[in-house]
Amino acid sequence: MTVIATSEGRSRSAVGQGFPVWLGLAPFALVLAVLFAAPVLSLLRLAFGEGAFTLAQFQRLIDVPVYRSVLGTTFGIAGLVTGLSVLVSYPLAYVMATVGPRTRNLLLILVLLPFWTSALVRTTAWIILLQSNGVVNQLLMAGGLTASPIAFVYNLSGVLIGMTHVLMPFVVLPLYAAFRNLELSTVQAAESLGAGPLTIFSRIILPLTAPGVVAGAMIVFMNAIGFYLTPALMGGPGQTMIAQMIATNINKELDWPFAAALASVLLVATVSLLALFQRRFGLDRLIEGGGGKAGEPFTVTSRGRSWGGWATVVAAVLVAAFLIAPIVIVFPMSLGSSPFLSFPPDSYSLVWYENFFSTSKWMAALTRSLQIAALVVVISVGLGTLAALGVSRMRPRWRALVETLFILPMIVPVIILAVGLYYLLAPTGLVGSIWGVTLGHVVLATPYVFITVRAALKSFDGNLELAALGLGASWPTMFRRVMLPGIAPGIAAGAIFAFITSFDDVVIALFLTNIRSRTLPKLMYEGVAHEIDPTIIAASCLIILVTILVLGANLLVSKRT
Amino acid sequence: MTIPALGKAVSIRTLDKHYGRTKALDGVSLEIAAGEFCTLLGASGSGKTTLLKTIAGFESYDAGAILVGGADIGPIPVSKRNIGMVFQNYALFPHMSVRRNVAFGLEMRRLAKREVEARVEEALALVDLAALAERQPRQLSGGQQQRVALARALVIRPDILLMDEPLGALDKNLRQSIQLELKRLHAAVGATVVYVTHDQEEALFLSDRIALMDKGRIVQTASPQELYAKPANRFVASFLGECNFIAMEAGEVAVRPEKTRLGEQARVCDRMIQAEILSVIFIGRGYRILLSAGGREIMALAEGSDEIAALKPGQSVAVGFDQSDVMPLAAA
Repeated sequence: MTVIATSEGRSRSAVGQGFPVWLGLAPFALVLAVLFAAPVLSLLRLAFGEGAFTLAQFQRLIDVPVYRSVLGTTFGIAGLVTGLSVLVSYPLAYVMATVGPRTRNLLLILVLLPFWTSALVRTTAWIILLQSNGVVNQLLMAGGLTASPIAFVYNLSGVLIGMTHVLMPFVVLPLYAAFRNLELSTVQAAESLGAGPLTIFSRIILPLTAPGVVAGAMIVFMNAIGFYLTPALMGGPGQTMIAQMIATNINKELDWPFAAALASVLLVATVSLLALFQRRFGLDRLIEGGGGKAGEPFTVTSRGRSWGGWATVVAAVLVAAFLIAPIVIVFPMSLGSSPFLSFPPDSYSLVWYENFFSTSKWMAALTRSLQIAALVVVISVGLGTLAALGVSRMRPRWRALVETLFILPMIVPVIILAVGLYYLLAPTGLVGSIWGVTLGHVVLATPYVFITVRAALKSFDGNLELAALGLGASWPTMFRRVMLPGIAPGIAAGAIFAFITSFDDVVIALFLTNIRSRTLPKLMYEGVAHEIDPTIIAASCLIILVTILVLGANLLVSKRT
Repeated sequence: MTIPALGKAVSIRTLDKHYGRTKALDGVSLEIAAGEFCTLLGASGSGKTTLLKTIAGFESYDAGAILVGGADIGPIPVSKRNIGMVFQNYALFPHMSVRRNVAFGLEMRRLAKREVEARVEEALALVDLAALAERQPRQLSGGQQQRVALARALVIRPDILLMDEPLGALDKNLRQSIQLELKRLHAAVGATVVYVTHDQEEALFLSDRIALMDKGRIVQTASPQELYAKPANRFVASFLGECNFIAMEAGEVAVRPEKTRLGEQARVCDRMIQAEILSVIFIGRGYRILLSAGGREIMALAEGSDEIAALKPGQSVAVGFDQSDVMPLAAA
């Protein structure tokens, strides 16, 4: 290795001796090439004709009114969901920033719990709440507010409720960070100059929190255009979005080229948004929040809230109820004894849990899901940690590019990866075994490990490594005794995210498993799409419990360090 | 200078404020005349910033009253109080240019566009920033930001100008030049200023009157000269400048180090004791000598002379002072 004259160069080459960059980057790069780039690109190629190059599929997309309207619906719904998410996030973020630490932590849990609870479980819960004989309609009719049930689901309102619920944490969290970065004195200065609550909001708070909101809103929009689950389960025919159209064309029409054209449009839209996001905010924003500031953070002083503040608090309470309602209500419902869903249940029993644990198809699916998740955790923790180590010691010049490539599977809509892998793996026979879905999950989960370990490595003091090496430790010894303990919380967090990613996935499982290899979420999905029986609710509650346990374990691990 | 003198008198009457069980303000009373520069001086936690924020309306109070120009401002919301505030970190709106920052308060008062423009120009000229009007706050130096904050507070022609350690974030040289600037501006504008600082030199330099605060109370209010020469008690004497408390047969007396004489000079003084030298430190314009007498430490500041320069630790030396330099203290 050549010793470069600059001190930076020298230290890098000294460190680089122990752990070659390629060893870190190569394994995940290889996995991405084979299991991500290859399937996605070979799928996209189908859109341009098998023999000669043609744009006929895209022409069809524009010419046929139904397809045009699907594009319109997709972007329309994504826009509405983005707007709604921003609207409901403001009161919640404001309150989170201005209450005491205990209430703040409670609110943070209210935001994060749904965030990490399977989208399928939440969608199921919403359907139970909102369907014509659901909880909300029962309450409305019992209270005499309406004579006949209101149609909340299987239409636009269902899709908007479900998707906003799933996606709004992406706005709440950056917005909360933006509120925390506001300085109290900036607001007080405006007030002393004569501004009332509305003016303070429109002229000070809105412009200063705008970057955080725009960042969050872009992530919501990016996610929303590729949504599959919620519109498929909670929407009607009028809410068919691109992802659902792709699935229909593959499962029902067997029209691969047209599905590929739809996937291309979706991919181009997502990647353009990502590029825009990166230009405007940088990818770091996707990974971590903004830095702290010196001044006293925005809060409420002894004088109390203004009328505007109190109105916002009321709104925030409603939003918090909206976030937690489905999760809170499914628990008592799972304990009912009647096969007909009602809230609150007439009598309580564990019959549906007994049913879950004594039915072989449920138990087989649960066991398989846990097996797959375990495999995914082991593989993706290895790949992600190596990749983070590799990236942390590569030259800065290419680092941003490699980082972007490594987190791409998080951003590309899952439906595209699922269909691509299905196309690529169907001939190999992997689809019927647990390995097809495991490999798919590894691609989805490794970026999470990469991000958390990368963040841990950034805060790891490089001098510790130099000190250990200087004291005579070999690189592997140093890694085991010094670096690994330092970055262990990051690895643990990554492992948990990987577990949840795998355990909650429906879309990959829909395409890469069959009746013999189906996972728990896939089995639930089949039930929800058909008819919800109480065992599904029991299963949902079990999934929520597993999520709470896993997140609680993470909290304990990170508290101890 | 065209900004008219609009300052109003402030009257603070037995103000109480609690944070939970701690008393942040404990029966604070203070009269500030129109156009007066009054400084709240104290250590951190003494209640000075709390008092300032209470006057501004950012904090509530439990009992007492605040009158501005004779009217109780208790029920008036912050936005209607017509108070100019300069914050420690300036609190400039980061997303607005200098001009927009200064114009903000006038826009809140719904002044005609032309008048807003004219008054903003005037205020910027007053603080010598007309050339930087289109800059964003982050493009300015600390001193320039400070002047923008001042212009923004003054342009609304406030009844009172409140300043919360406005020079705390600046380095020492800049601080001194801005102190001069502040003094000039106060003379020109004639506003009633309530100024918070923990820096006693700054307080002595700027103020017409100083209210020294400790544990949520005002310990003494007086002109800088009076506060230094006639401290009300031991706390004031030792907070403002250094002070020796010398044990004499008749009891303890308080004497400033610069009034404490040594050696030959001590022998012509009214009062004299013997003390042991602990250390002799050269400080440029003279010497700082630390002594010990009767188990207490005594500090003396002496001009350089051969006699002083020859003093060695361990020696015994005469320490003297004139009765006229002894400061009478209330028992505290």
